[in-house]
Amino acid sequence: MRKYSITYFIGQSIKGLWRNGIMSMASITVLMSCLAVMGSFSLLVININYNLEEIGVLNEIVVFVETERTELEVVDIYNQIRSLDNVNTVTHITKEEVKEEERLRFEKYPAVFKLIDDGGKNPYPDTFIVTYNDNSKVNTLQFNLNNIKGVENVRCNKDLAKSIDEVKNGIIVIFIWFLVILFVVSLFVIINTIKLGVFSRRQEISIMRYVGATNWFIVLPFILEGIIIGIVASGFAYLIQWYSYLYIFNTISKDFQIINLIIFEDVRIFVALGFLAIGVVTGIIGSSLSLSKYLKA
Amino acid sequence: MIEFKNVKKVFLNGTVALDGVNLKINDGEFVFVVGASGAGKTTLVKLLLREEKITSGKLMVDEFDLAKIPNYKVPFYRRQIGVVFQDFRLFEKKTVFENVAFAMRVIGEPAKVIKRRVPTILKIVNLQDKFDCFPTELSGGEQQRVALARALANNPRTIIADEPTGNIDPNMSLEIMNLLIKIQKKNKTVIVVTHEEKLVDYFQQRVISLRDGRVIDDRTGGMFNAQV
Repeated sequence: MRKYSITYFIGQSIKGLWRNGIMSMASITVLMSCLAVMGSFSLLVININYNLEEIGVLNEIVVFVETERTELEVVDIYNQIRSLDNVNTVTHITKEEVKEEERLRFEKYPAVFKLIDDGGKNPYPDTFIVTYNDNSKVNTLQFNLNNIKGVENVRCNKDLAKSIDEVKNGIIVIFIWFLVILFVVSLFVIINTIKLGVFSRRQEISIMRYVGATNWFIVLPFILEGIIIGIVASGFAYLIQWYSYLYIFNTISKDFQIINLIIFEDVRIFVALGFLAIGVVTGIIGSSLSLSKYLKA
Repeated sequence: MIEFKNVKKVFLNGTVALDGVNLKINDGEFVFVVGASGAGKTTLVKLLLREEKITSGKLMVDEFDLAKIPNYKVPFYRRQIGVVFQDFRLFEKKTVFENVAFAMRVIGEPAKVIKRRVPTILKIVNLQDKFDCFPTELSGGEQQRVALARALANNPRTIIADEPTGNIDPNMSLEIMNLLIKIQKKNKTVIVVTHEEKLVDYFQQRVISLRDGRVIDDRTGGMFNAQV
């Protein structure tokens, strides 16, 4: 029975890559860069979404009550808020709870809170976190909240949320364009690498044809070359992504504590599989395009 | 059996390479195809190898209709044909053994079969002592014998030799032709395309003469046609 040895094909592919070392390196480098940029943009978008959800700016209004209001007045304000149209939930954070939260946040400055504890006036206001249902009616809700007697201030993040959303969409558009350009560049470099391989083996290919080699036998080593380029590039891109993300993660965690970043370990499997899939598919498409004219009889 | 029925080949630029060729070559026959440059010899070989398609007519090689054969079947058709070129087309970085084994490997023969069959073929072409030599270490005649061994590797029914003696000296040419006769005696069809009048006259086989894409003479045991 006739059978082909996969080791033969892999051997031929590795020989081909070695023979055109510089072009192979160029293909791997370009594809790796493409994957790393793509991964970075993806992680950026994921982190923006994560932070938006964390700070809840998208459908949340914070209502601060005047500090001199009594507990009864605060309960009255709560009921007025509940009765407003478009209100989904109302969460009351007492001035004591706010103080405790702030104590934890500024634990390096215990003296400030000692003054309050020792009989000083609690400067923090009672606060209501109001979530709403309909974004289009948020201006009316904000107006009504401002008109409640005893309300000091209403902080609505709708503009911030809108700005962040626009920035996020802008980043996605840039990301897609970068991706398309880098993908096309990667394809061209891979196509040229494989073409060089085909050119240097043209005599071998013509003899293969005369002795009855099938198209698959002829092109498989070149397709494997594309796949190997994809695998190697995705491996390097993953390492670059991992280390660069860790570096950024550590820097931001240290200097910008307000920003929360997702842990790389939570997404590593998606990053690895995404890189591998895109790398291999690009390799296959690149090599197939460069071989199309050799697929004739 | 090979049969050309009113075969015409016209290239895209309008050149008529073969014009109404009618031929029948029986199994196990030895045939010389002779003709001047531009007579249509190379086109005839290309059609037989299905490198080119006929424009009109019918070309049958055994059970294969070369006008209708789909592309995916062409490699399987080519396994029935061994081909030898003037310039040998050997791999310089492969040994004699590897060059012959290559033809078997590309059609997926198991290593065991390759190891058993290659020495047998190399013995037929008298290269049993040159297994490990590289082509650059061999004479022209020996290189052509390696090419012949490679053509025989997959046990084809037909051998096509395109100017097989064009690059070797007269003594070696005689040796190659004797080998081809020996191969024909093993019930293989042998088609030799050549310019060499003396060889054609010496071997007294069937001679098909082409001129301007037409068969002008076809005689068995005949001489080189002076008109070509």
